[in-house]
Amino acid sequence: MTDKAKQVQGKDNGLAPCKTCLKLCKIEDRQCQRCGTTISARDYTSVQKSWALLITAAILLIPANVYPITIMTSQGTMRQDTIFSGITHLVELELMPIAIILFTASILVPMLKIVGLSIYLCAISFRLPISKKNLMSGFHIIEWIGRWSMLDLFVISITAALVNMGQLLDAKPAPAATAFALVILLTQLAAKVLDTRLLWDRLELDNDTN
Amino acid sequence: MQQCALDKSVILCRSCDLVVSKRALPTGVRALCPRCHTALYDTPYCSINGMLALCLTALIFFFPANLLPVLELHFLGSIRTTTIAEGAINVAQQGYWIVGIAVITAAVIAPGLLIASILAQILIVKYQLSSPFFREVLRQLLRQQSLLSQLTMLEIYMISILVSVFQLSDYTDLYFGMGTFCFTMLFVMTIFLQREYDLEHMWSMLDD
Repeated sequence: MTDKAKQVQGKDNGLAPCKTCLKLCKIEDRQCQRCGTTISARDYTSVQKSWALLITAAILLIPANVYPITIMTSQGTMRQDTIFSGITHLVELELMPIAIILFTASILVPMLKIVGLSIYLCAISFRLPISKKNLMSGFHIIEWIGRWSMLDLFVISITAALVNMGQLLDAKPAPAATAFALVILLTQLAAKVLDTRLLWDRLELDNDTN
Repeated sequence: MQQCALDKSVILCRSCDLVVSKRALPTGVRALCPRCHTALYDTPYCSINGMLALCLTALIFFFPANLLPVLELHFLGSIRTTTIAEGAINVAQQGYWIVGIAVITAAVIAPGLLIASILAQILIVKYQLSSPFFREVLRQLLRQQSLLSQLTMLEIYMISILVSVFQLSDYTDLYFGMGTFCFTMLFVMTIFLQREYDLEHMWSMLDD
């Protein structure tokens, strides 16, 4: 690892990268010379915004999992499936690979995203001594994998449009779909608005073992 | 310190704000931030003509991929088909318009805008249109670029088609049509286009 004296933050040099085009700018310029975006050395309000979005998402996760997400009618019998019961139904039908994909995309990823982002935000807000490098790689994974939750919504839209034969065979979305869509949107936004540089500022002084 | 840093020899990590000195990389190598391992830059092999070819191919496949049905369902003699947009509209009509908007944005609107935007950027760069009007257009397009590529979720839709096929094959017979083929091609072209595209390189076109 490079020694600590060499680890200069851009802010200390009066420099900041432009948020939009990543051009290196002087903080005193206030506006990027190339694309005109306002330059901010640090966005301190981003922690609050991120918390707000994340807490809303965590609340919405409850209706998303408790209410049914699809209503399937097959030869007169109607079954309402929540995200979880839909997956167990797939396991009963012995469609293991599909069940694993859907379990990852619809249950594991949203949960991990909310838990992971909370840990990350706690580390910034309460200066927890957690390895910053691990937090950062976790953050990149969350950013990348988060969009895959959309899988379930796509599947619902495809099946709902294809399967509409009345009492014989019919698939419809149910209330949890909206809640689930909002969970995805809000968690993605929570990760996007957060200024990750704050983590590296605040933990700089104490316990920098990595 | 400040003067020497503003030249091109130094960049800042956008995740942790570390000052990193920039050096030339061999092709196919990516520079990571030494502190937080965020990807910083790679060698731009952004070939304008290659991207133009990919872009035009993607554009050609875009229309049939969206107008022809991506899946066909045969059930007791009756046939049901759906395009991507019909799926989204169907969900929206049943009252789940947030879901509908999410689907149509991620699978139709964003990919369409992305391809159109990259095509416009390529044409401006290729023919060196440097009047203030075109520079402003290029600037505005580049500003929206990262949002558009984040919203484009063709790869996820591709997997969704497969998942639905497996799920429904338990009840009925499903068939792929010409639309599925066009959609697959659109997806492949877009993946390669996004791989080839380098935002930093495109911004540097505005510098001189």
